[in-house]
Amino acid sequence: MTPALQVEGLGVAFGGIRAVDGVSFMAQRQAITTVIGPNGAGKSTLFNLISGQIPPHTGRVALDGVDRTGAPPHLMQRAGLGRSFQITNLFFELTVFENLQLAAQRLEPPRQMLRRIGHGEASLQRVGELVERFSLAAKLGELAGALSHGEQRRLEIAVALAAKPSVLLLDEPTQGMSHGDTADTARLIRDLSRDVTILLIEHDIGLVMDISDHIVVMHQGRMLAEGAPPEVRANPAVKAAYFGDASC
Amino acid sequence: MRSASSKDASAFLAFDRSGLAMRASHVLVVILVVAAFGFAAVGAALNDTFYLRLATEALIFGGFALSVDILLGYTGLLSLGHALYFGFGAYVSALVLKETPSFWAAMGAVLAATLVFGFITGLIANRVRGVYFALVTFGIAQVAAKAVYNTRALGASDGLIGIPIVPINLGFMTVMSNAPVAFFLFTLVFVILLYVAAAYLLDTSFGRILGALRVNEHRVPFLGYSTHRARLSIYVFAAIIAALSGALYPMLRGFVSPELMFFTTSGNAVITVVIGGVGTLAGALYGSVILTVLKSVIGTMTEHHLIVIGILFMAVVIFLPKGLMGVIRPRIARRLRGGAR
Amino acid sequence: MTSALEFIQFVLAPQMITGLSLGVAVVLVALGLTIIFGLLDVINMAHGEFYAIGAYLALALGAAGINFWLLIVIVPLIMIPLGYVVERGLIQRVFNKPDRHVTTLLLTFGLSLVLEETLKVIFGPNTQRPPTPIPGAIDAFGIIMPNYRLFLILLGFSIIIAVALIVNRTALGAMVRAAAFDRNMAASLGVPASRIYAGTFAFGVALAGLAGVLLAPVFSVFPTMGHDFIFMAFTVVIVGGMGSIGGTVIAGLVLTQVQVLSSLVVSPVWSDPIVFSIMVLVLVLRPQGLFGRMGHA
Repeated sequence: MTPALQVEGLGVAFGGIRAVDGVSFMAQRQAITTVIGPNGAGKSTLFNLISGQIPPHTGRVALDGVDRTGAPPHLMQRAGLGRSFQITNLFFELTVFENLQLAAQRLEPPRQMLRRIGHGEASLQRVGELVERFSLAAKLGELAGALSHGEQRRLEIAVALAAKPSVLLLDEPTQGMSHGDTADTARLIRDLSRDVTILLIEHDIGLVMDISDHIVVMHQGRMLAEGAPPEVRANPAVKAAYFGDASC
Repeated sequence: MRSASSKDASAFLAFDRSGLAMRASHVLVVILVVAAFGFAAVGAALNDTFYLRLATEALIFGGFALSVDILLGYTGLLSLGHALYFGFGAYVSALVLKETPSFWAAMGAVLAATLVFGFITGLIANRVRGVYFALVTFGIAQVAAKAVYNTRALGASDGLIGIPIVPINLGFMTVMSNAPVAFFLFTLVFVILLYVAAAYLLDTSFGRILGALRVNEHRVPFLGYSTHRARLSIYVFAAIIAALSGALYPMLRGFVSPELMFFTTSGNAVITVVIGGVGTLAGALYGSVILTVLKSVIGTMTEHHLIVIGILFMAVVIFLPKGLMGVIRPRIARRLRGGAR
Repeated sequence: MTSALEFIQFVLAPQMITGLSLGVAVVLVALGLTIIFGLLDVINMAHGEFYAIGAYLALALGAAGINFWLLIVIVPLIMIPLGYVVERGLIQRVFNKPDRHVTTLLLTFGLSLVLEETLKVIFGPNTQRPPTPIPGAIDAFGIIMPNYRLFLILLGFSIIIAVALIVNRTALGAMVRAAAFDRNMAASLGVPASRIYAGTFAFGVALAGLAGVLLAPVFSVFPTMGHDFIFMAFTVVIVGGMGSIGGTVIAGLVLTQVQVLSSLVVSPVWSDPIVFSIMVLVLVLRPQGLFGRMGHA
C-alpha cells in the first residue's frame, strides 16, 4: 500500500540559510508519525512546506501516492490534507459553530456554494459529529475568541479535521495546555489516528514516546534519525543532540 | 444517528451569528420599505416632485453604498475608488439611452460591460491588500475619471446631457422615468432587489468564505479555498451592484458628469456606510437616507454642511465603530435568536 | 540646430526647472505623510489640509504685518500643538483598534472634510496669493528663473536633508524608530511611546505647515489646495515606498518631471492620468514601493 504522505529530499533556504535540508520520510496510514527536534530545527517550516504555504526549493511531496509538490494550500487541502497551527489560528470573531461550519462546508457538492448554509446537510452533520467528539456542544454559540486556551486548542484540531482529510498535520496541539488537558488531547489524537494519518509536531517527549508509531528527529534543518520510539530513544546521536538538551 | 443529526442541524442555526444578523437586517429593510411606501403615499397626495426625486436619488446612492459595504463590511476591503463602477454604470446607461431609450437594453449593456470591466480592474486591484488596496482602487478610479474628463466623445468635463425620458416596460405596466411617484417606487423595488441579491449571496457558503477572509484570511486557504478567487469574485459582484445603481442615475437626472467617478463620490459612499453601519447592508440604505436628510436640513441653514457631516462621521468612527445599525441590529438579532430556540 | 537649442532654452529647460520646484514642493508635503506612515502606521488623509492651514496662517499673519522669514519659523511652531492635539485627542482613540490602517484612514478623512470646510468658512472660497518674498529673476545661460523658485529649490533640499538626518542619524530619531518598531520594547527602554507618537505626528504636521508657508507664494492659497495637492503627494509616497524618505525624494522628483514633460509632450490634461497610472503600475508590480520602509528594513 502506498503511504498516505511521502516526503522526499524536501528543502528550502531563506537568505542562504537552509531551514529545511533534504528531509525524507513517509507517514503510514492509521499511524502517528511525530516530528521532534529542538527549537529552530525546522519543524514548523517542514509543515509549511508540506501544506503548501511555502513552495519547496528541492524535493517532492506526495499525498496518497500522487505528487503534489508546489501546490498552494487550498489545493493541498482539496487533495486531502488538513492542518492545525502552533499559534491558534481560528476565526476569533465568529462563533464556534461558524468556525466548524466554514471548515466542514468543503464536504458539500459545488452547487452548495451558492446556497444558504442551512441547506448543507453534509456539513451540518459533520459539525454535529465534531461537536460531540471534541465536547464543544455547550460552546457552539460562543465566539471562538472568548473560549479558554484549552478549548481553542481543541477547536483548532476540530477545524483542521472538519473536511475529513486523509492526512492531518498537527503543529504542537498541546501547546500551553494544562497537564490534564494534555493527557486528554493525547488520548484524542490516538483515537483520531484510527481514521486519519497523523503527522505531529510535539515537544512533550513523554507524550511523544507514548503515542507515536514512528518518530522523525530533526536538527538544524536536517533529519538526524527516524524510527520507532525505542530505536530513537536508543540512538546515540539523538541522545546527544536532543535528549541531552531536554534533560537540562 | 442520521435523523438525530438532521434534527440538530436546524438547532445549530441558532448559533449562526452571521445568519441571524442577516435576518435582523431583513427586518430593518422591511421597516424601511414600509416607511418608503408611506412617504410615497404622502408625496403623491401632496403632488410633490422635489422630495420624491430627492428620495429617489437617496435610494440610488443607497444601492451604491450597498456595494461598498459588501466589500468593506463583509470582505474587509476598503475601496477608495468604488465610484468608478457607479460612474461607469451611469455612463454606459446614458450612452445606450441616448441611442435608444430602452431600459432593458441599458441594463443589459451595463451588466455585460461591468462584468468585463470589473474583472479586468479587479485583477489589478486584487494584486494588493489592506491599505494598498485602498490606494490602488483610488488610483485606478482617478485615472479613469480623468480620462473620461478629457474625452470629448464622452462630453469631457460637461458630461453627457439630454438623456431622454425612459419608459420602463415591466410587462404588466410601464413606468415613466419622469413620473415622480412611479419612478420612486420603481427605484425602491430595484434597490431592494439589489439588497436581496447581495444578502442572499452573503448568506451562502461562498458568502461565509468572505466573512472568514475579513476575520482571518490566513486560515482560509487551509480550508480549501483560494482567497484570490473569492476576493476577485466578490469584487466583480460589488462592481455590478454599483454599476446597476449608477445605471438609474441618468434616468432620474437626465445627465451624467465625471464627478460621479470622482473621489468625492467614493468618499461619500464610505461615509454613508460607516454612519449607517459597516457590515449590515441595511446600514448602507439607512445611511444614505440619513445623509440625504441631513444635507437638505442643514443645507437650508448653511452651505457648510460638510462640517456637521464630517464631525458626525468622526464621532461614529470613534464611538460607534459599527455605526447606527450596529447599535440597533444586535437587539433584533437577539430577539430572532430567542424565537429560533 | 538653432531651433533645437531654442527649444531647450525657452521651453524644455524652464519647464524642467518648474518641475524641479514642483518636485521639491511635493516632496515637502509628502515628507510628513511618509514619516507619519512609516513611524505610526497611520495614513493621514488630513495631511493636505494641514498644508492648507499652514498656507492660510502665512497669508493671515503676513497680512497682519509679520515678515515672511519669521513666518517660516512661526507657522510650524503653531502647527506643532495642533498636530499634537489631533494625535492625542483623535488618533490615539482608535490607534489600538484591530484594523488600524482603515480606522485611522477613515478618521483622518473625516477630519479633512471638517478642516477644509472650516477654511472655507473663515477665509471664503476665493483664491488668494501672498506677495512673493523674493522678487525678480536671474538669467543663467539665457534661461530665466524666478529668484523665489530658486530659493525654494535650495531651501527645500536643505529641509529634506535636515529631516532625513534627524530621523536617521540623531538619538531622537533612533528613539522614534525604536517606538515604531516595537512599542513595548521602546517602553521597556524608557521611551515614552505615546508621547513619541504624538510628537512624530506633530512633526509631520509641522512639515506640512512649513510647506504651506513656502509654497503659498507660488501656488496661491485656496480652501481645496490641500486636497488637490495631496493626491500627488500620496502618489509620490506610494511609489517611493511608504515610509522611505529617500524613496519619497526620488519618486517626488522623478514623477514631477514626468508630469511636466508629459504635459509638454502629450498634453497638460493627460499628465495626471499618466502619473496616476505609474502609481497603479508600481503598486501592482511592487506593492511595497520602489524602496523599503524605515524601521522595517
